[in-house]
Amino acid sequence: MKLVIDESRCKGCNLCTMVCPYHIFQEGDRLNERGIIVPKLDRPERCPNCRLQKLYGRRLCGACALICPDQAIRWEEEKPYEKHKVVIEY
Amino acid sequence: MTFMDWYREDRLPHIYCTGCGNGTVINCTLEAVEQMGWAVDDTVFISGIGCSSRAPGYIKTDSLHTTHGRALAFATGVKLANPRLNVVVFTGDGDLAAIGGNHFIHACRRNVDLTVVCMNNMIYGMTGGQGSPCTPVGAISTTTPYGAVEPVFDLSELAVTAGANYVARWTSYHVKELTKAVKDGLETPGFSFIEALTQCPTAYGRRNKLRQVSDMINYMRTNVILIQKKQRMLERGEAVPEEKIPVGEFVRRNRPAMGVPK
Repeated sequence: MKLVIDESRCKGCNLCTMVCPYHIFQEGDRLNERGIIVPKLDRPERCPNCRLQKLYGRRLCGACALICPDQAIRWEEEKPYEKHKVVIEY
Repeated sequence: MTFMDWYREDRLPHIYCTGCGNGTVINCTLEAVEQMGWAVDDTVFISGIGCSSRAPGYIKTDSLHTTHGRALAFATGVKLANPRLNVVVFTGDGDLAAIGGNHFIHACRRNVDLTVVCMNNMIYGMTGGQGSPCTPVGAISTTTPYGAVEPVFDLSELAVTAGANYVARWTSYHVKELTKAVKDGLETPGFSFIEALTQCPTAYGRRNKLRQVSDMINYMRTNVILIQKKQRMLERGEAVPEEKIPVGEFVRRNRPAMGVPK
């Protein structure tokens, strides 16, 4: 699974940057075509939903998708067996 | 299945301002409804007038957008006419406490089988930031330019006193807890009232030195106290700071309810 921010819905409130326990969402630095600074993703493959949603068969954390007032955060299916380098921090 | 399946995606993005907490509360409510496993055809969302009351327009189910403050009156009618329907009411603090206050206490007294989600943003947001019964003392709004002086209505305590079966209060920062509280409210027969404190950066925060969304979230995060902790502090005789807002489950009881299908 892949974490995606829908730029056509995001209004740039940066609420997701406050709740992610992995600090995957970082404040962005460039305007998009709608004039909104969309947060950028810092190594989104660390997200437990991306790694483990299939294995557990349910959504695991999902705090960012729940708190997003504009319903802009979602997980997308990926092409099977895309290799990712995952660094686990302790 | 996620809560996104309940949204009318053709209507999104919604008209709420940047950082408005109402979208978060709709997410949490729909997630709880999704966990209940209800069908779209058996669920009705009802609302009055205000920012919060635009919510059912973005949801796939049947909905009623009613007159100001009268959402609970319409919801009582829907529930009693067809008790098989699952009725959820979205309302705001101005809608529920100011104009619909009488409907609120009598719906609590009758204990109709409804779930009411009140998005309390402490101000009339849609009409330009007038003071509501929930505006904190000292807060500045367009009708209280020198700071609000009236005592604040505590909606959760009011619902407990008036006889609701389930009462909880959370904020739009506590998404997981809010989802759990809404789910408990949906499961409880009888009147369940969930008050969700939301941020309003446009009408409230702009005038009260909380201009950024993160400022309002930090205000809610630091100024809440769990109600069990507050009770422990009171038992030990410690002073609870005045500005702390108790959150958590206020009451869960089993009074005879109206409109529960036999």
